[in-house]
Amino acid sequence: MIIGKEEILPGIFKFEFKVSSSFIAEAEPGRFIQLEVSHGPFPVTRRPFTISSTYGKSVEIIFEVVGRGTEVLAETDVGRSLRLLGPLGRGYLLNPGKWLLIGGGLGAAGFPGLTAKIDSGLLLLGAASRDKLLTIPGLETVAITEDGSSGRKGLITDLLGSVRWDSFSGIALCGPVPMMKAVFEMMPFPAQAITQVSAEARMGCGWGVCEGCSVPKAGGGFLKCCSDGPVFQAESIDWERCEGIH
Amino acid sequence: MADPYRWSFWKREFNSPILLASGTAGFGIELMEQGFLEGAAAVISKATTLKPREGNPPPRIIETRFGLLNSIGLANPGVDEVLKILLPQAADLPCPLIINVAGEVVEEFPAVIERLEESTVPFGYEVNVSCPNVAAGGIAFGASPEIVERISTLVKRVSSRPFSVKLTPNEGSIVESAKAAEAGGADAVTVCNTFLGMKVDWRTGKALLKRSVGGYSSPALLPLTVARVFKTSEAVKIPVLASGGVNRAEDILELLAAGAAMVQVGTWLMRRPDAAFELREGVISLLESDSP
Ligand SMILES: Cc1cc2nc3c(=O)[nH]c(=O)nc-3n(C[C@H](O)[C@H](O)[C@H](O)COP(=O)(O)OP(=O)(O)OC[C@H]3O[C@@H](n4cnc5c(N)ncnc54)[C@H](O)[C@@H]3O)c2cc1C
Ligand SMILES: Cc1cc2nc3c(=O)[nH]c(=O)nc-3n(C[C@H](O)[C@H](O)[C@H](O)COP(=O)(O)O)c2cc1C
Ligand code: FES
Repeated sequence: MIIGKEEILPGIFKFEFKVSSSFIAEAEPGRFIQLEVSHGPFPVTRRPFTISSTYGKSVEIIFEVVGRGTEVLAETDVGRSLRLLGPLGRGYLLNPGKWLLIGGGLGAAGFPGLTAKIDSGLLLLGAASRDKLLTIPGLETVAITEDGSSGRKGLITDLLGSVRWDSFSGIALCGPVPMMKAVFEMMPFPAQAITQVSAEARMGCGWGVCEGCSVPKAGGGFLKCCSDGPVFQAESIDWERCEGIH
Repeated sequence: MADPYRWSFWKREFNSPILLASGTAGFGIELMEQGFLEGAAAVISKATTLKPREGNPPPRIIETRFGLLNSIGLANPGVDEVLKILLPQAADLPCPLIINVAGEVVEEFPAVIERLEESTVPFGYEVNVSCPNVAAGGIAFGASPEIVERISTLVKRVSSRPFSVKLTPNEGSIVESAKAAEAGGADAVTVCNTFLGMKVDWRTGKALLKRSVGGYSSPALLPLTVARVFKTSEAVKIPVLASGGVNRAEDILELLAAGAAMVQVGTWLMRRPDAAFELREGVISLLESDSP
């Protein structure tokens, strides 16, 4: 059941659902849910959303309206029940120490939950404009927007020059594919080796049976976003073949 | 008290008319682990081919206004891996497993089935001569009654188990292909695979799927399946397994009334992994409320 709903930025919503305690126990950062956005038959498939955070017996997601499914969801009111599957997939492999989180746009939606599980972290956050810039509490944040409406003006890659890569024990990267690819390619090799990315693919089932959610695998073949991921070692993905997928 | 309703095909009786369609249930293993096979009479596996196939480049799933386009391209680990890894795990399924088999050339079908005969797990086979997502084999086979009969004859020769031939709605006459399957010795026909569909971005003029066309499925297609089930079941004596457009208990009863022996659920299973249970409950309660 939806117990909270807020339009945190124009067209960007935070929804809170009541869930079971076993759900909460399994809701590791980076895992996702498959949400049935309508009661009618269309859209036919569920829509995947990263678990943003959990509180007590509730789970939060943050999503942007980009098409029909998210539009229908945004119109749904508090008190309605929607079928929710999850937590699904594999989340981040955590280790102690300081983490670097790099998020582009809605890619940062999963970072609140991750923040709660790491010792400390630095967040590099990029968005098109301040209207798309999420706020992630509890992290030292450097923001950059393409139009300069908040923080520095430019792309997230403009922030990478001053990063002291060797001061982090883990790196989490999530955002649009071109952004993740550009960031990954600018990283020194040791940083690439400790980077985990949260990938996205159009999903059918979300639980590993339909082969619909393929992500190009380094060295050939495909990974299944929903069950091998959605969080992958950045090195296990073939970034060249990722281009133009959506 | 157990309900009295039973459905049967291939000399076996089931307490449900529901089969889980190929490509939407894997090999049933994930569903079994979640306890979601209750209500399913049998699982039909993802297509199995002689060699591993990595499948088509993504995106492989596109949702359109009233349905789903898929371009999976028969991604599967190949028959060796299926025998070594998947079938031993599937041996524990609480219901029978039917293996869906595909091939790029006519000889591949009997070759795969000859290998599958090494395992005790399969209950039967579904011969897929209708995949819209491959360059070789696929629809071109299913549309030709001569090829359908030839494949059926070759499969019959090597198979100790019953098999269904899964037909295409896209080209040729599905009734003629069904008769050809029966003449070749098939023990059932599956009516039918997905419809050829395509989505184009009018701004760029480009198709969204890399192979341009894909297989279209949707609850809106139910009447098309009903018509094809009706026509083929009049033309052949072997059971007709219906596939296409089911998302309600009423749909299942309608297809059975139109001549189907059993009814498959595919796309809807991806949305509702527990669809078999829900739909069977629905079927039983409709039958109970209808009986005097
Ligand atoms: C594991 C995972 C986690 C996700 N987490 C979030 C999240 O936390 N917040 C959020 O806002 N979005 C998230 N997404 C993306 C979200 O699922 C899609 O935006 C949503 O499914 C779009 O549905 P729609 O019907 O509104 O759009 P559609 O009408 O289906 O498509 C509109 C546009 O959205 C894009 N799109 C569609 N489906 C996907 C998809 N599965 N992944 C990426 N882009 C897509 C396409 O470019 C398309 O042109 C996640 C996706 C995945 C796979
Ligand atoms: C994602 C997906 C994968 C499929 N893969 C196969 C397959 O491997 N072999 C096959 O014979 N049919 C395959 N099909 C077709 C389905 O088994 C079914 O016949 C079709 O989708 C129509 O039924 P539905 O409306 O219940 O989905 C696939 C369908 C979908 C949506
Ligand atoms: S979405 Fe079906 S296998 Fe990943």
